[in-house]
Amino acid sequence: MGVEVMIYLYGAVCASMIVFNIVYAVLIRGSEPRLAKRQQRFLRLVSAQTDRLSRGEPVERRHLDLLQRELRRVRNLAAFEPVLRALTAEDAPGGRAYLEEIQPTVLHLSLVYLHRDSEQTAYFSYFLSHYMLHRHLPVHSVQEVLLEYMGKENLYCRVNALQALCSFGSPEHVVEGLRIQDRGSVFVHDKILTETLLGYTGNHETLIDPLWKELHSFSERTQLAVLNYIRFSSGAYRREMLSLLRDASAAKELRLSAVRYFGRYPYDPALEPLLAFASESDPLRWEYATVSVSSLARYPGERVVAALKEALHSPNWYIRYAAASSLEAHNVGYEDVADIVTGSDRYAREMLLYRLETHTLHRKGG
Amino acid sequence: MMDAFKTFFNWVGVFFVAYMIGYASFLFLSVLVGSSTLYQVKRRNFLKNELHQNYYVPVSIVVPAYNEEVTIVSTVRSLLSLDYKLYEIIVVDDGSRDNTAQTLLDAFRMRQVTRPIHRMIACQPELAVYESLDEKVPITLICKKNGGKADALNMGINASKYPYFVCMDADSVLQYDSLEKIVRPVVEDGSVVAVGGAVRPCNGAKLENGRVLSYRMPDKVLPCMQVLEYDRSFLAARILFDKFNGSIIISGAFGLFKKSTVVDAGGYDSTTMGEDMELVVKLHVFCREHNIPYRIRYATDAICWTQAPEKLGDLRKQRRRWHIGLFESMFRHRKILANPRFGLVGFLSYVYFLIYELFSPYIEIFGVVTMVMAFFLDLINIPFMVLFFAVYVVYSAILSLTAFFARIHTIDLKLRVSDVFKAIGLCALEVSCLRFILAWVRATSLIGYRKKRRSWGRIERKKIEFK
Repeated sequence: MGVEVMIYLYGAVCASMIVFNIVYAVLIRGSEPRLAKRQQRFLRLVSAQTDRLSRGEPVERRHLDLLQRELRRVRNLAAFEPVLRALTAEDAPGGRAYLEEIQPTVLHLSLVYLHRDSEQTAYFSYFLSHYMLHRHLPVHSVQEVLLEYMGKENLYCRVNALQALCSFGSPEHVVEGLRIQDRGSVFVHDKILTETLLGYTGNHETLIDPLWKELHSFSERTQLAVLNYIRFSSGAYRREMLSLLRDASAAKELRLSAVRYFGRYPYDPALEPLLAFASESDPLRWEYATVSVSSLARYPGERVVAALKEALHSPNWYIRYAAASSLEAHNVGYEDVADIVTGSDRYAREMLLYRLETHTLHRKGG
Repeated sequence: MMDAFKTFFNWVGVFFVAYMIGYASFLFLSVLVGSSTLYQVKRRNFLKNELHQNYYVPVSIVVPAYNEEVTIVSTVRSLLSLDYKLYEIIVVDDGSRDNTAQTLLDAFRMRQVTRPIHRMIACQPELAVYESLDEKVPITLICKKNGGKADALNMGINASKYPYFVCMDADSVLQYDSLEKIVRPVVEDGSVVAVGGAVRPCNGAKLENGRVLSYRMPDKVLPCMQVLEYDRSFLAARILFDKFNGSIIISGAFGLFKKSTVVDAGGYDSTTMGEDMELVVKLHVFCREHNIPYRIRYATDAICWTQAPEKLGDLRKQRRRWHIGLFESMFRHRKILANPRFGLVGFLSYVYFLIYELFSPYIEIFGVVTMVMAFFLDLINIPFMVLFFAVYVVYSAILSLTAFFARIHTIDLKLRVSDVFKAIGLCALEVSCLRFILAWVRATSLIGYRKKRRSWGRIERKKIEFK
């Protein structure tokens, strides 16, 4: 009896799997045509409205009502989005005016999607970052809603919402958004944060100022993201970065980021600390030495070349590699490094010769 | 005497019912979780729940090669067409006896350099290093003394510049977006130390610039059955293990690793045949013993196309190699078994691999032998046995098909009706015939395995048609 029950159970599992396969296959088969059909319908509706706008007439009230009603369904929103994409990509007549006209509807929908599951909210954030116009009246309210989106414990929702906030170009909302993500339990990689901040549409320095003021209130991960963002977007923070570089109590990664900053934006007062790091002999602090040696590539002078040649004798492979690369960047002549090429330190010689060969390969490879 | 036999067969019956219930439940659970995960990922991507930007996680791709003159150039060309910003390609020629190195030198105008290799992990010395900077990304060729695949991989790790490396087979092709997808778990979770990619048989697929132009079930029966087997056994099961950080295999054909962790753990073990599995198990042990928070992930959408063996002899060699690798890894790290320190890895993953992978061929052969014995002693209910076998075949076949269709549906591949029928017909053949043939191969694989430990497993290669 027990065995029979088991066989029936297996049979039931088989039957349900078959039904599942068939139903899903049918749904899949139908989903693309359904999406295309919806898209065509939206295209017709939107075209009619853009024609009206081209003639100087406003968008019809019933069209806005229809959008408000239908775009509550995420599948409709997904069908509507490519229509807007085409409209903005082609710079179609009436396209921008149409986007402006539907802004109140978008604002209304942002509240609707706040209460949806986080995947749908993330999608709406994506939608906002692309189709919500900057400096439009309701934008402030949308940003408030986006800050609420940031509170959802979902990586994509946070990233898309932060992207949307950056696309609006309001520094105080971006700072607040960073603060919210910092408090949450969802891990957002510092590379994602940096890259998202780099998408900020306003003047970067208007964002960096408040970020710098708030820097110490962030976690180390967010601080690192902010510092890297500053490095990639402005050379106007040399003084601030120097104080960080000199702050022995600051976290290692943050100080290293400051060292990299001076590799990108040379600053005379930073030379001494960079040289000090480059001559670091503590094996546990090899990262400071490596990054400083790389940064010195952009600092001219005999002292720098001498420090780099000294670094070539380091027992650490990474320091030797960075020193050889920096010497290559200094375009040192053979006579300057003859003592190394003919010297007894095989490791220093090999590394230097290798970089010289690579330099030749680069030139030949164009 | 007869009573003793009856008692014996009763216990055998009880054992097999328990064994089959365990297996059926696992299969059901893995296919269910695997399929639903694939559908979730599809929905997530549809709703733009993905990272759109380039996050510049630099990656070194290490390609160990031994006698790969037929495929190596097309493999490197496929790597050059990857849609990714920052990576390098390192080919390690492990003392090939054919023209692997020369073929590469000619194809990519490589020049010899005196590159000092940073020896972080022990490996055989390099004989010559070549570089080319003419292409989109730097290509390095290292010719070294023969030391086996693991040794070649260790050399590649030593020579790599970037903090993450990808290992792959020289006869495989990465899909154009595979690097972006395999890196994604690292960006999503800072504790990820390794990510496995999804390996799929490319027999029947047409690829251009790493994109699938058309997909059909392979013409030959054997690779066709392997397509189904890959989806049921590898895809579904790995997704399930991924749910609780329990993956203990990342295929050597495509995996991403955090270099510093691998170096700290000692790199690939060149004394085993299954260096890919051994490394992953070792990472579990290393991270847990050193209290390092870690995750080992599986990226279902990071796709690597590989050639499934088309001849039974080649398939036999491949499976033999896999089984030996499994045995060595499990034996070497046997302390994991049911050890609370290793959490679910010790209680679920290890136990599953022990019973349903390592011991399964012996158990299945034992089952067949007892059936034959019972038949001669007239102690078997033949109609029931046939019914039970039929249930097993139908059940396994349907789960195979579910996993197969879940994959097909979620990556928007279109199948012809003839392919659907081929899949339906062959899945029954796979569970009722191929499975038992492979059980025999695996059961006999450990005989004399020590002699061939360091050798490269060779199967007949065709040039992948990569445009």
